[in-house]
Amino acid sequence: MKHKEMVYMTPMPVRIWHWLNAFGIVTLCATGLQIRFPDYINIFGAYRAAIRLHNTAGVVVSVSYLLWLIYYLAVARSLIKLYVPTVEDLKSGIFRQAYYYFLAYFFGKPNPHHSTPDSKFNPMQKAAYLVIMLVLLPLVVLSGGLLMYIAPLRELLLLLGGIKMLVGTHFLLSCCFTAFLFVHIYLATLGHTPLAHFKPMWNGWEEETVEDGNPDPDKQITASTK
Amino acid sequence: MYIYNRAVWLCITVTVLFAASVSATVIGSEKEDKYVRKDAVSRNNSGDGLSRAGNEKCMSCHARKEIKSLAGKVVFIDPVKFTATTHSIVGCTSCHDQVSPGHPADGSAPSIAKCGDCHDPVREEYSKSLHGSKARCNDCHNPHEVKLPVFMSGDEINSKCAKCHDTRKTIRSHSKWLTQADLHIDSLLCITCHTGSKDYVITMSIESRLPGSGDAFKSATFEELAKLINGEDIRKVIDQNGDNLVSLQELRDFNHHLRGRNMRLWGMMTPEVVTHSYQILENRWDCSFCHASGPKAMQKSFIAFPEKEGGYTRLAVEKGAILDILYGTPDFYMLGTTRSSALNIFGALIVAAGLSFPVSHGFFRFLSRNKRKENDHEA
Repeated sequence: MKHKEMVYMTPMPVRIWHWLNAFGIVTLCATGLQIRFPDYINIFGAYRAAIRLHNTAGVVVSVSYLLWLIYYLAVARSLIKLYVPTVEDLKSGIFRQAYYYFLAYFFGKPNPHHSTPDSKFNPMQKAAYLVIMLVLLPLVVLSGGLLMYIAPLRELLLLLGGIKMLVGTHFLLSCCFTAFLFVHIYLATLGHTPLAHFKPMWNGWEEETVEDGNPDPDKQITASTK
Repeated sequence: MYIYNRAVWLCITVTVLFAASVSATVIGSEKEDKYVRKDAVSRNNSGDGLSRAGNEKCMSCHARKEIKSLAGKVVFIDPVKFTATTHSIVGCTSCHDQVSPGHPADGSAPSIAKCGDCHDPVREEYSKSLHGSKARCNDCHNPHEVKLPVFMSGDEINSKCAKCHDTRKTIRSHSKWLTQADLHIDSLLCITCHTGSKDYVITMSIESRLPGSGDAFKSATFEELAKLINGEDIRKVIDQNGDNLVSLQELRDFNHHLRGRNMRLWGMMTPEVVTHSYQILENRWDCSFCHASGPKAMQKSFIAFPEKEGGYTRLAVEKGAILDILYGTPDFYMLGTTRSSALNIFGALIVAAGLSFPVSHGFFRFLSRNKRKENDHEA
């Protein structure tokens, strides 16, 4: 018989990091839009205000990223287990998951991945989050940090290809994050209810449907009556 | 007879004005200096040749470095710098019109004209400005060396301000509200934000590294540049095909030529029309003047190089060169203004790809809602 069970999926430090990061990245994307296209977009009033907010949000995201890294590496020690895809994941898991999202889902088939606190992410999530958290985010943080101190770091910037190269990289990375936000928020609505995946990121608990092996009493009653 | 006299005077005046305008053009003024009174040069009433002759007489003593007045004051005038000024055309005696016959032995100093006698509109504009009570014309401009801004490097123009406004203190005071004040002060003329000057362009100058200073640069001198290009004509080195327009490829070639030789091209935002209306403008304060002016504002750029006689000559650069490329031109970027259109399109495609997933998946999700419910019920 199936029954509902509450599983503590997301510990508090991770939740705090997630929302700090989410708020920071949305702020960075919005301010970044005004900074690059000020002749078309004015969300935060003065250009100077957008720059200040962008720099502040950048520092917040950088610090929260460092805390996230320290937490997963030194405290929870689950970075590799949670985020690095296994050989099995790469061989078949990713394709199985892609098949589910792009086809099987529309026929109401069940998700091939079952989340547990030790295996929170499906193979596609693992691959995407690994690239985002260990490649794209460090790169955007680094390029942004360098762009905050152009005059003292001018020689270093030239070694990296100059300001234009760095600004271009920072801009394209931010476009990747914007694209990711759309996909990420949408995929979060694919739970058994549209808000099912949002709740655990807020209070930590996820509602799971578990098969306990016992016979369904309703069905038993119906069978005996017959 | 009266009419005849008037006609003769009119002819003389017209001839003098014509000679003055021709000589102003010869010296290379790219823009008409609307702030100089048209009759200014007629004070001398002696024409170009005679002025020069008059200059030579004065300069025979004043061009000697060791010359001092009886009171011990240095009265040397650099002949190279003076010859390059518009003032040398109007002649020494235009401003110093009363020189005693016994000069210099009698110890009398020649009369000195007021700048406002010729530059009255500038005097009026300046005296009304915030700076009017702080400094006199001579505090910023040496009349024996003065040049139009287009014949100066940005660094040179800012050095006039730095005589009183210490650069380090200026950076500190601006840091209180301006992000990356050091970068701004290095890349902008002070008058960009503090006067109502107009028509901004990007002027690239050639800078050389100060020996032993790490990453500090200063405007390269003619001699430094001549050494770099082995005495070739710098104009030909930059503008290889001699069409008086530096193409993007020529700019890249020259930029690469400088790298690795402790030199660099340095871009600054400079005004074409300079005013003396010192003030603090609201749109400079909130950064929108430069950063929200849109990419069309900064398509015009020049490259300036020093001349042997002092001053700078500039060559026009292909339109939009500073904007659209990633590498090869100077390390110059203005947020919000010199963005690359190609990168914008590429970035938009990435965002569109991200957005297309929820839109297309959501569409099929909506179409398959009944099927999914059915199967879920069966499960």
